[in-house]
Amino acid sequence: MSTDDLFAAEEQVIAAAQELLENGRFHDKADGTLYADLLKDYQKLFRTTRRLMRLSDRNEQQLNALTQEQRLANEIIATKNKELEALSKKLSKYLSPQIYHSIFTGAQNVEIDSNRKKLTIFFSDVINFTETTDKLESEDLTNLLNRYLTEMSNIALEHGATIDKYIGDAIMVFFGDPESKGVKEDARDCVRMAVAMLRRMRELHAEWQELGAEKPFHLRIGINTGYVTVGNFGSEDRMDYTIIGSAVNLTARLQSYANIDGILLGHETYSLVKDEIAAEEQEPIKVKGFAEPVRCYKVLGLYDDLADEGMVIREETDGFKFLLDLQKRERSEAIAALEAIIARLRE
Amino acid sequence: MIEKLDIEATPRTPAVAFDFANHHLKISGESYPEDVTEFYGPVFIALDNYLKKIGKNKCRFDFELIYLNSSSAKAIMMVMDKLEDAAKNGATVEVYWYYDHEDDTMQELGEEFGEDLESAKFHLEKMAG
Repeated sequence: MSTDDLFAAEEQVIAAAQELLENGRFHDKADGTLYADLLKDYQKLFRTTRRLMRLSDRNEQQLNALTQEQRLANEIIATKNKELEALSKKLSKYLSPQIYHSIFTGAQNVEIDSNRKKLTIFFSDVINFTETTDKLESEDLTNLLNRYLTEMSNIALEHGATIDKYIGDAIMVFFGDPESKGVKEDARDCVRMAVAMLRRMRELHAEWQELGAEKPFHLRIGINTGYVTVGNFGSEDRMDYTIIGSAVNLTARLQSYANIDGILLGHETYSLVKDEIAAEEQEPIKVKGFAEPVRCYKVLGLYDDLADEGMVIREETDGFKFLLDLQKRERSEAIAALEAIIARLRE
Repeated sequence: MIEKLDIEATPRTPAVAFDFANHHLKISGESYPEDVTEFYGPVFIALDNYLKKIGKNKCRFDFELIYLNSSSAKAIMMVMDKLEDAAKNGATVEVYWYYDHEDDTMQELGEEFGEDLESAKFHLEKMAG
């Protein structure tokens, strides 16, 4: 049905009215004029109706076209968003999750900027990595290294570390930025992480030997707490979120002095974790840039772990602290000391 | 002398610039007000007051409309009627209907409005640019 068909009835009314006027059916002239005026108004109203209908239809067409365009635009945006999401997911692997998160939530600006903070820093290095893996094919070496770094990174992330960088087989992470639980808890998390890493390394030794490494990997770990400058360093085009300062250098030195599969703590870290971690003071080490030899401590283990193994007896509640290291003191010595304390309590 | 009527355009309503002293009146922009009578009511009152006193003077009315909804189209037809009546009563009324060269709807609407004008002189023009 055409638009004209829609208005066929109105057209017929107009045609009939015009015929009436032309045939001179009105004997009274005034009636004829009135009828002609009415017909003219009716014709105008009819034109207006058709015009408004046409305009309304066209507006609706335009609206539909715009809706279609909008739908297509939304589809393009959705596709682009997916591409960007995939891209950012790829890029995120080059960043520590905390740094990625703080950049993407807008908590941190991507600009050259830094500030000073007290952090706990961790360095680890595989002893004689090059010699140990010298006979491996490139693919095996890649698998071995990636497996090692993946395992260690997973543990780091589980403990809330910010992974600063991998330098070959070496790992540098820190605690306390961009998120911090407080200096003491950050230090404790860091040492717990280091202990967990060494535990996992022991489990992985067998697997690596199967892959062809003649000698199992061994680590040295250094941990230190101190003020560093943390932030974005580099140029506007290429920057790294990292830390710099003498505390960082000292951590690297502590790592190089650590025993095989050992953790060496700086004095400040030790002070923060000594309630939870058994450690033994070592000979102070001389470090470039430090006037005095630096005090350091070898980690023996977590007290909780040592208690489970029967190597220490530890009780701690508010206002009461008891720690007996059975590797350092004979049981009889401990009993005598405790009896003396009980006697004093009974006085 | 009747005061000028200047209404700034909004996203839904057109700009109204009635310079009665210079007999130059203009409506431009998009028109789909939430309440067409609320918007066009004061415009009609100002126009009626002006046309009542126009006598044999010359007047120019420019329409530069980009989009109209049906209610606005009816309001514009009412403006056209008022202008046509003034022309019938002796005023020299020139109506300029400007349309975007890519907008067939506004061009055809202008043509149809022009067909209704007998005494007022109608001009259909493309918008500049």
